[in-house]
Amino acid sequence: MDRREFLKYSSLISAAGLLPEMAFAANGRSPEKIVVLVELKGGNDGFNTLVPYRDDAYKKLRPTLHLKESKVLKLGQGDMGLHPHLKDLMNIWNQGDMAWVQGIGYPQSVLSHFRSMDIWNSGSNANQVIEDGWLTHVLPSFKQGLHGISVSKDGSSLGPLHSPRLNSVSMQSPRMFVNQSRTINDITPVSSTPALAHLTQTQHQLYEVGQQLRAKMTRSLRQQKRTRSKGVLGHSLESVAQMIIAGIDSPVYKVTQGGFDMHSGQIGRHNNVLYQVNHGLSRFAHTMKQNGLWDKIVVVTYSEFGRRIAENRGGGTDHGTASAQFVMGGGIRGGLYGQHPNLERLDVNGNVAHTTDFRQVYSTLAQRIWRQHQHPWKAHRPIPFV
Amino acid sequence: MGKLGLFRARHLVTRTSIGAEWETIQRYQNLSLRDAIIHTLNSVNYNIPRAPRTSSWAKTLGNRNSMARQRNMQRMSKNEGAAIQTWWANHMLTTKSPFLERMTLFWHNHFPSNIEHTKQPSALLEQNYTLRRHALGNYGDLLFAISKDPAMLLYLDGYKNVKQDPNENFARELLELFTLGGTQYYSERDIKEAARAFTGWSIDDRTGKFRYRRELHDEGIKTFMGKRGNFDGDDILKILLRHPRTAETIAEKMWREFINTSRPNPHHTRRWAQIFRQSNYDIKALLMAVLSSDPFWHPSNVGGLIKSPVELTIGTMRALPYRLRTNNLAHNLSLMGQSLFAHPSVKGWEGGESWISTQSLMRRTGILTNLTRGNLRQTNDARMMAHMPNCSDEELVTWLLPVSPLSPLPTEPGRQRLVRALVLDPAYQVS
Repeated sequence: MDRREFLKYSSLISAAGLLPEMAFAANGRSPEKIVVLVELKGGNDGFNTLVPYRDDAYKKLRPTLHLKESKVLKLGQGDMGLHPHLKDLMNIWNQGDMAWVQGIGYPQSVLSHFRSMDIWNSGSNANQVIEDGWLTHVLPSFKQGLHGISVSKDGSSLGPLHSPRLNSVSMQSPRMFVNQSRTINDITPVSSTPALAHLTQTQHQLYEVGQQLRAKMTRSLRQQKRTRSKGVLGHSLESVAQMIIAGIDSPVYKVTQGGFDMHSGQIGRHNNVLYQVNHGLSRFAHTMKQNGLWDKIVVVTYSEFGRRIAENRGGGTDHGTASAQFVMGGGIRGGLYGQHPNLERLDVNGNVAHTTDFRQVYSTLAQRIWRQHQHPWKAHRPIPFV
Repeated sequence: MGKLGLFRARHLVTRTSIGAEWETIQRYQNLSLRDAIIHTLNSVNYNIPRAPRTSSWAKTLGNRNSMARQRNMQRMSKNEGAAIQTWWANHMLTTKSPFLERMTLFWHNHFPSNIEHTKQPSALLEQNYTLRRHALGNYGDLLFAISKDPAMLLYLDGYKNVKQDPNENFARELLELFTLGGTQYYSERDIKEAARAFTGWSIDDRTGKFRYRRELHDEGIKTFMGKRGNFDGDDILKILLRHPRTAETIAEKMWREFINTSRPNPHHTRRWAQIFRQSNYDIKALLMAVLSSDPFWHPSNVGGLIKSPVELTIGTMRALPYRLRTNNLAHNLSLMGQSLFAHPSVKGWEGGESWISTQSLMRRTGILTNLTRGNLRQTNDARMMAHMPNCSDEELVTWLLPVSPLSPLPTEPGRQRLVRALVLDPAYQVS
């Protein structure tokens, strides 16, 4: 093999025709609805988030971890209540803007963090390996240009937005993105190897999104007041709010709160992460309301799995199956959806059976938010929270 | 057998070294393919520079269980952790045996443990010694050593795994990631039973070394992967090493390390796995098979890998006379997503295409810009040129880029300008 022989293989032909259209910077308008995905990484304990405080099995299986009826924030429906650290989100519930989806999971649950998160990210079956994120089936036909922005500390995982068919970018914050993307030149994507295709497509997206952010945000970033949010999630959501207010044309944002894997010493750690969720999301909701944008917003939480109903001897809980997640926003029909899992009927691993398939949420968003009726989750009935 | 020549020599060196040093390429281009691979595998120097001081297990044990002293623990592990990160990054920068470092890094990513999580940098340093001792040795020995390694016992809660309350954490990752490589090859029951077999594997309070605590071990009968017996941890590891998937898992990781970013081709990885098992897990035998395989040398795989942050930065500094103004190499690596001794999860760095996101690409371009900028000053010109190979411009392009440049090259003459353009070309990010 020499360079000449090599060149026969590396057809450095532009792959631009194969790529999603990116020409949007000039006329990209803010979408009608904006979905904010909140990833709760590590497997959030659904039973201590949306609490069945009157369920005897709950109290019996969690002698030290159960939350007392007197502490729980009661929803006034189905004898369910919220963890006391979610108190600011109670206001949103009281306004009827928050929907809880109970018993959410999928058949033949996998208890591996990585596999289960892949399943949630791709919307696949338990025994299926799909590399692309689930939004690849919905967003390309919904709109051209930018599809999603992931904001996180390490700027890594795109999760549901990961796909060569999606224009999705990751960033630490718009401020850093605007500053650091200045030196990046545009490039015509090539397809000689998958590695080069990924690299050049990423660089092209970086350039395009950098242009849009500079055009729409340079001024607002300059006059921005001192930050008032705390924690990684709070800062990420503040960034998301800035971009929404600036009119960036992304239909989806993704943020992450980690630290939900609690095999031991759960009480303090769970209090802490739920405090972050409560603080970050209530501030975000407040900012959106102040700017008259709350009706556009659809916040959706997700996690790779829930935790086992029985606590372990280390004061923690092991990997479980079904959990509870919430959706909130100005256009959301609040309430409890789905069945609370039966805590007395457990499988061989001591886990509950799910009652709602997570893909019902995906099919709801596809059909009722983005009006896309061609998607892989037709068999999964939408949930009427929209 | 024919000589390697420049193009193939650079291909072998980029993928087995950290950065493509001109002298090594020069030496290899006149060797046959086989001799060059044998030289790569065998000319290894195991010496390491003196490591920074770290607090012993006996010293931190008291603080570990005290809520009041958590802050001290945090500070200690942060400072000492940064010191060992810098120690390793600097060693990778100066070593004469980059292949050993590359393979140690490979195993570090297969068996990750985390400073933040374990809060015991001394144990991570010891683990690093274990990884490098076995890096080119025997995988069975490495697996046994790591299963008893204090940093691993801490990281995956093995030291808390006792008869009265088996902890599944280590058993789960052992099956899913270290051996069988997929959730479809075992059941939840196998995990529970394996966890029971590992009960009693612990850390000695005084020495901080592995200690078996018989009184905490479950002596009952276990059923694991279809076999029944009063198994202990060693038995579980032996059963796993007899399973064909264990060798395949490693072969698939070798594909991602040495061939390309696409899904491993089972036709090849199964053959490598067979060779690996037949050699009783001799890592060099596996590497020999990988490095002399057709896919390794196939032109369509040139430019098929994405450089890790270590390859990108340390590799550039090893091959070219560029230096960072301040020594914050380890910090820079973590900004690009490769924080040494601090993987994002037990799965290690995802690698491949996930090295490149819009966020990391800005960082990667940023550090290459910084590295090459300093030398544009006239004063450094002569010094830099003294360290550059004496070759034609065409050879220079072949040396630094695996594929043709993607951006136009400077039209003005000047070697330094050309080198800078090549390092900043997107094609420099792949190998």
